Amino acid sequence: MSIPKVVGIEEEYAIHMPGEQVLTPFQASCTLVNAYARKVGLRAPGTRLLWDYGHETPFKDIRGPLFGKITNQQTISDEENLRINAVLPNGARLYTDHAHPEYSTPECLSARDAVACDKAGELIVREALAAARDVAPWLKVKLFKNNIDYQGHSFGCHENYLMDAAAHEECFVRDPGKAMRGLVPFLVTRQLFAGSGRIGSERGQASSAPYLISQRSDFIENIFGLETMYARPIINTREEHHADPTRFRRLHLIVGDANMSEFAGFLKIGSTQIVLQMLEDGYLTEDLSLRDPVDALRKVAEFNFPVELADGRTIGALDLQREFLAKAEQYCRSGIGPAVPDAQLILQSWAYALDGLEELRLSKELDLVDDPRMLSRRLDWVAKLWLIQRYRESKDRSWDSPALRVFDLQYHNIEPESGLFRRLQSQGLVERILDDAEISQRVGTAPPDTRAYFRGKCIERFAGEIIFVNWEVVGFDHGEVHRMVPLLNPLKGTKEQFREVFDRCANSRELLAMIRS
Amino acid sequence: MSESRQTQIPKRKRTKPEDETEAITPAPLISEEAKKQKLKELDEFMEDVLQKAGEEFLDEFKQVEGE
Repeated sequence: MSIPKVVGIEEEYAIHMPGEQVLTPFQASCTLVNAYARKVGLRAPGTRLLWDYGHETPFKDIRGPLFGKITNQQTISDEENLRINAVLPNGARLYTDHAHPEYSTPECLSARDAVACDKAGELIVREALAAARDVAPWLKVKLFKNNIDYQGHSFGCHENYLMDAAAHEECFVRDPGKAMRGLVPFLVTRQLFAGSGRIGSERGQASSAPYLISQRSDFIENIFGLETMYARPIINTREEHHADPTRFRRLHLIVGDANMSEFAGFLKIGSTQIVLQMLEDGYLTEDLSLRDPVDALRKVAEFNFPVELADGRTIGALDLQREFLAKAEQYCRSGIGPAVPDAQLILQSWAYALDGLEELRLSKELDLVDDPRMLSRRLDWVAKLWLIQRYRESKDRSWDSPALRVFDLQYHNIEPESGLFRRLQSQGLVERILDDAEISQRVGTAPPDTRAYFRGKCIERFAGEIIFVNWEVVGFDHGEVHRMVPLLNPLKGTKEQFREVFDRCANSRELLAMIRS
Repeated sequence: MSESRQTQIPKRKRTKPEDETEAITPAPLISEEAKKQKLKELDEFMEDVLQKAGEEFLDEFKQVEGE
């Protein structure tokens, strides 16, 4: 039987530094990380909470050593570790990845909480920016939650889902055909509601589309693979499960766009949770294998919707999504597998989006002719298209006007005074599924129903006693000995299990004594 | 969106169960006047964003590959 789809999101923020700069983007990212770490007390004297890289194996492939890479992986000094990393009291990790600030949410049980945590990440990096400006007023930095720079580079919004080890092995190692038949067609067409939209294409003459549904579609070149910076796959096969690998595996998806819209983010995560449970439970029995998933991903992004299946049949991308929705509705009624949190809202949102897409009318020039269900209030790519269309019409601009690319990027600017999405939201021009209190709560508090609660609570209460943390362990420095608390089950370490324990202990020695007893 | 060309698999029409209430509505009611004012403010905001970004914005936005 399937297991709950614990999910975490990794957002890489684009960093824009206008004019002459004293710092490099890497240095500026580290400045942000440490400004926020100081703000929440993680740089107090005696606190040296490191990120433990010991469980990271970016060059190992789930399919075996033939697919992996041999490299001289370097360890970094404690000083460098502290410069790069901050593990937060909400169970998240804020750090510098290459030259970007990156925010990895804590593990969440529900799509709603995942979106709240992702949105809390926006607030945290904004607070980091403000804190950095307090100490370095000359620092000119702007942050964007998007995936492209219009100069040929892409950066990710990765999703991680907990899977049952045996089902994962079966679907991605022993018989990848199972993933090809069920999961991959869903992921290829999911962009219809989850895409963030962009002007033009990376493919030059190979594409004539002036606007694409997805930011990532042009950067995806494989179905499965280990790479993340070139030859990117839909499904990343890194063997790094961050849990007991005999029971759990991580599904690492790198095909998705960063969402500003709460509705789109919620639907992306929620629908994927249901589809993954159906995959684990053997509920996706129809063979919907695509003839060429990567080609289909790009074609759908270019509004070329007929999708060719491997058996020669053709189906519309929207109809393919309707197949998944119909199955999901049956599945959620069936009682097979654990209940997906907020399943009814996910299914209703999914149906609403597909109905709305069916009724959406676009001209040949990709102008919005009719949007009766107001998807421009819910889906990022439609909202952005609507904004750009307003400008194009009022100023009589062609699609290659640089102003349109500026608007695309500024849609994702996280600051209220410049961010177009933020503006739409503050004006009540987009629909929300969360309230501000839910998001604010996730700035300082971990989700209660996963191991993130234990990690977050340890950091909140005993940061000065922790020597290192990663997703699956909290390590305490008890002078003569370092003591580890393994968190190998993402579903354990919850508030229900540990609230009283944390209430009763004054330090980590007492905490460990109570756990042992 | 029209996508019916060459479709060989029959389209699945969504059949809404009788007891399913519409939990999601297209948009909250708002007067035409208020809507017009919001859109005017939005257009002004976009102009301002464009001005503030400056001519170098797109060149200076260059990132390194992520992940």
